[in-house]
Amino acid sequence: MIRLNLGRPIMGFLRFFRDPVLVISLLLIIAFVGVAIIAPIYKMVEESRTEKGRELFDRYLNSPVYRQIIRNTIQMGLIVGALGTALGFLMAYVQVKTSVPFKRFMHFMALVPVISPPFAVATSVLLLFGRNGMISKGIFERRYDIYGLDGLSLVLTLSLFTVAYLNLKGMMQALDPSLDEAATNLGASKFRIFRTVTLPMLLPGIASSFLLIFVEAVADLGNPLVLSGKYDVLATRVYVAIVGLYNTTSAAVLSIILLVPSLMVFIVQRYWVNRLSVISITGKPSGRPQQITHPLVRWPLFGAAMFVALLIVLIYAVIFVGSFVRVLNVDNSFTLDHFDFVINGYGSEAMKDTTRLSAMATPIAGILGMLIAFIVVRKKFLGRGLLDFGTMLGIAVPGTILGIGYLLMFNRPHTVDWPLLGTVEWMPKLTGSKAIGGGALAIILVYIIRSTPAALRTGVSALSQIDPVIEEASVSLGAGSFATFRRVTLPLIRPAFFSGLVYAFARSMTTISAIVFLTTPKTKIMTQQILNEVENGRYGNAFAYCVILILIVLTAIGILAAVVGTRSGTERTIEGGA
Amino acid sequence: MSAQRGSLVLEGISKVFPQRGGHGEVTAVDAVSLTIQEGEFLTLLGPSGCGKTTTLRLISGFELPSAGRILLDGRDISYRPPNKRDMAMVFQSYALFPHMNVYNNVAYGLRAHHIKRRDIKKRVVQALEMMELGNLASRRPHELSGGQQQRVALARSLVVEPSVMLFDEPLSNLDAKLRVQMRSEIHKLQRRLNITSVYVTHDQVEAMALSDRVVIMNGGRIEQIGTPEEIYRRPKSRFVADFIGRANFLEAKVESAAGDSAVVNLLAQTVTLPIDFAPRVGDTVVAVIRPEALKLQENPDLKQVVIEQVMYLGSSVDYVVGVDDQRLIVVDPDPLFGNIYKEGQKLGITFNPETVYILPK
Amino acid sequence: MKHKNLLVLVMLLVVMVATPLMSQGPKATAQEDTLTVLCTPQEDWCVAMTEAFEAETGIDTSYVRLSSGEALARIRATQDDPEFSVWWGGPADAFIAATEEGLLEPYEPELGSILEPEIARGEGGYWHGVYLGVMGFCSNVEFLDELGIEAPTSWDDLLAPELKGNIAMAHPATSGTAFTAFWTVVTLKADELETAEAGKGYDEEGAPTDAAIDAAFEYFSDLHQNILQYTRSGAAPGQMAGNGEIAVAIIFSHDCVKLQQEGFGEVLVNTFPEEGTGYEIGGMGLIKDAPEPEAAKMWIDWALTPEAQAVAATVNSLQLPTNPETPVSELSVKLDEVKLINYNFMAAGARRNDIAERFDADIAPQPTE
Repeated sequence: MIRLNLGRPIMGFLRFFRDPVLVISLLLIIAFVGVAIIAPIYKMVEESRTEKGRELFDRYLNSPVYRQIIRNTIQMGLIVGALGTALGFLMAYVQVKTSVPFKRFMHFMALVPVISPPFAVATSVLLLFGRNGMISKGIFERRYDIYGLDGLSLVLTLSLFTVAYLNLKGMMQALDPSLDEAATNLGASKFRIFRTVTLPMLLPGIASSFLLIFVEAVADLGNPLVLSGKYDVLATRVYVAIVGLYNTTSAAVLSIILLVPSLMVFIVQRYWVNRLSVISITGKPSGRPQQITHPLVRWPLFGAAMFVALLIVLIYAVIFVGSFVRVLNVDNSFTLDHFDFVINGYGSEAMKDTTRLSAMATPIAGILGMLIAFIVVRKKFLGRGLLDFGTMLGIAVPGTILGIGYLLMFNRPHTVDWPLLGTVEWMPKLTGSKAIGGGALAIILVYIIRSTPAALRTGVSALSQIDPVIEEASVSLGAGSFATFRRVTLPLIRPAFFSGLVYAFARSMTTISAIVFLTTPKTKIMTQQILNEVENGRYGNAFAYCVILILIVLTAIGILAAVVGTRSGTERTIEGGA
Repeated sequence: MSAQRGSLVLEGISKVFPQRGGHGEVTAVDAVSLTIQEGEFLTLLGPSGCGKTTTLRLISGFELPSAGRILLDGRDISYRPPNKRDMAMVFQSYALFPHMNVYNNVAYGLRAHHIKRRDIKKRVVQALEMMELGNLASRRPHELSGGQQQRVALARSLVVEPSVMLFDEPLSNLDAKLRVQMRSEIHKLQRRLNITSVYVTHDQVEAMALSDRVVIMNGGRIEQIGTPEEIYRRPKSRFVADFIGRANFLEAKVESAAGDSAVVNLLAQTVTLPIDFAPRVGDTVVAVIRPEALKLQENPDLKQVVIEQVMYLGSSVDYVVGVDDQRLIVVDPDPLFGNIYKEGQKLGITFNPETVYILPK
Repeated sequence: MKHKNLLVLVMLLVVMVATPLMSQGPKATAQEDTLTVLCTPQEDWCVAMTEAFEAETGIDTSYVRLSSGEALARIRATQDDPEFSVWWGGPADAFIAATEEGLLEPYEPELGSILEPEIARGEGGYWHGVYLGVMGFCSNVEFLDELGIEAPTSWDDLLAPELKGNIAMAHPATSGTAFTAFWTVVTLKADELETAEAGKGYDEEGAPTDAAIDAAFEYFSDLHQNILQYTRSGAAPGQMAGNGEIAVAIIFSHDCVKLQQEGFGEVLVNTFPEEGTGYEIGGMGLIKDAPEPEAAKMWIDWALTPEAQAVAATVNSLQLPTNPETPVSELSVKLDEVKLINYNFMAAGARRNDIAERFDADIAPQPTE
């Protein structure tokens, strides 16, 4: 018997070539990830492969100081990853599975931290719980030393948990209620159901959220800059290497060291998710989800969720109040000067530019994230793990490194010599005011690659819940891959798509460290203005910027909700017609 | 639409999967060859893991064959994408689009085929009427009962008028009564529309009820192809006999053999039975006796058995009886009132030799 | 079909938003009626300077503000096709580094030779000093009252046990400000050693000796017990003092005065060490292969004039001007009231990385009791 035993890759490709739309979109996506993410990062990696770079590797890895910093980074990442995921889980669980009052309020407060302008949350937490904090000193009369791992974990957890919340909430709503019913029929207690049915079904979402939060936490710069105290982490070291020591090579080396833990978490996460089958949307609809009503479970959960919601209220209230008084906690007289400055001052252009560029990046990041998730989850081909991780790199490297990589890669046009066509420019100059759109394109690209990973992760966990049979049904009825994605897959993962879009917009509006290197006189960025006001000690102005930024993002969320419609379609269906 | 469409040929189709986690391989489908006529209803039947679903997925194009060819109306479609195969599949879980109402679910395939809007409406309404779903067009799938969901899934596939309909255990999610009802509806529809259908199930009753021909699969290979009657009455192997309906297997010695019959001694009776192989005198063969072919009588001349278990089923009674050191199942169809034997009772056993079939040991 | 419209809508949105941006296109710069400045000081100062220059010359002037390290990294990464013509402001060490890397082009402005202090005249015309900042102590009076001590007026005052955990300074590896503080102590120790025995504090080239640096490390090792945090940014300790997080911040005095102007006037007090204090020079240089070299040179000439240097005070930037003819703000530090040390920028630059690393390894990780 002749057996076409050429191995998987060739079979995979054969399958692909049967579907040209898919091949083309896959190639486009690979090209995009290659050019917009891998290439600029590789430019920086090259720096670390010089003799000087290798020497630095040796030095850092053998120095007790740096070993401690690496340990700190991993420790912080793990703590924040675990706390952030747990908090997201708690808020989602209370939202979906318990019947308690004030759900809408808690939902809203869980969404708000997705908008955390750099330094704002950290500064607010300092003003509340710092050594001279309004609560720590003002109420408890204690100079609490919040600098270090504790403060950092608190702030990072609060700033990053929203993505876990959205992700897990979507998944919990999609959980097949008949599973619960089946378990109840078998005589299982609610806790047993939680442990043996709910939790395992959500594992991909939990793993996804943990990965994303871990990666973001270890690469975060703004919060450790304010709050880390003597607890040094790698991301700030990368920043310091460039800003303080003018040493780009050292920054590149440290960034590569920083990638190692992220890569490890990524691999573990993939291993977990791939081992589990957690399909709960099968196209065979069933009843309405059960809610927990037992008071001993319900009220402690409610209390915990409410506590977190109120904490967030407090933190954002500081920002809000701070924007209306002269100097919060020092001179608390009312003023509108800060808003006058923000709206009429030199920063107003930045506000418009940032909003416009973010609005452009958002739909692209959202759709790209879902497309990559679709391909990575549904299509089997060699290197899909690489595509997944390649996309994740967009968030795994510190922004500073990415920004410089962009300059090295895109500050000149790239050409290729064809034998017949002559020299063809395949990539024009993107950075600087002389480039297309006054350098706007490079900024949009950075926005996209910084926010696609979150969309990708939510997409991956949402897709892992949907039985591929539903898509097969579409194909079987004559729809191609792309039509199936657009008309079946995308609507089915609408909640994930929505959170991807929200996240993309909020993240674009608040990203800073990579963008610093790409701003031009024509494209000014709001976060940079915020940072500038913070540096000058003009908290009032910084807070006023934040308030406006928050309003812009909330408006955008409203518009996105109207366009994408979170509660129409699937979600309502999945909720069992609730 | 030409009437001459929907003939399907599988030529030595194999499918090899890599083993999960390891480096080995698993052969799910092993050199299967089949010819399905236009308008024929063919069922792939077998225990789970026998390769029937993989075969269906190879036909539908969701899997690519590792070897062999698939021909539809004479054209090689082995590597054609599933959406270009002119087939429609009905899934076990129905796979209804949860975000669309019934109308849109049914219209989906027509839209994918870029049918004109006016025609879509006409055909969808027609399909819904045919499936008695006319008043449910604006409902969403979760608002329907299991049987209605199943009808929507059927309507959705039928409306695109495919050359071949594929069914992947479509009735296994329904309760027993509904299953019988839907079975009959599928049967009527298929006879009326005359669409070539390939049906996968592990339920032999369903297979027999629906099919023109049944393919029994085991371990990735075809055990037997035949009409339901052939499969039931002339099983080619003990596996087939056991899988299709219930069967008692009794060993017997060949006393003489000539042409297509042999004389054997069975349950203390010497009978002539049909065979399709050539045993030698003195060989041990296996006789397949269906439970309903066995009869219990209070007759001391017959081979005596002891009743070990009695199960009254209404339309019939199942007896488990011990004979020598073997257990046999005897079914008494249409038992009279007050005429049920008791456990522990000793009785004679006889059989109707016309339905006994001989297999080599 | 709601989701069908969604994609169309999204595409439409992209096109709508993109159109105005794309139509801007690249502008011709041959006329040199434009100038792009890379500006390192505070944003409002950058705004005021570019507006003043535009008013003076009619050249359409725009800027991007970046911290000195980011600025240097950006110039370095874009040296093939620079986007900025002139780099204005930021500590001199960044300009010294840029000069060494060949990123700057020499230019001798008219007023280059009259600048004070002498170091502001730069080296070989690659850069020139535009302002001077003096190192000081910025203290929270309320916090000091609580501790029952006076504002520190000497480096040794900072070692007072009451201040344990109540001082902040930036990390010398990350901040020019903190390094200036460190080098100030090095210089003071060198002076002490030199007074005790000639040749012990300074080597033949006038650079402080290793012994002086060791002595400075001893001092900072003692000071470490009183430090709450080494911040990354040089000015951050000032805000911590303003918010009552700490009692004393070691920062540039103009940053402290600026905070006082921004609303912390009641709580912050600015003092100087009487043994002597260090200072920074804010630099300015012409970027190599500048796209608008002529306009950039006009900027450099103009930036050294008293009019240009007087812009600083209008935006509460109270660094001292380098042009002696510039009127000095009432709020600025009076140079006759503080004792400036003899700050050797070249020697400081040469030792910076060693010191930063040693600080990192020996001092920062030490536990505090």
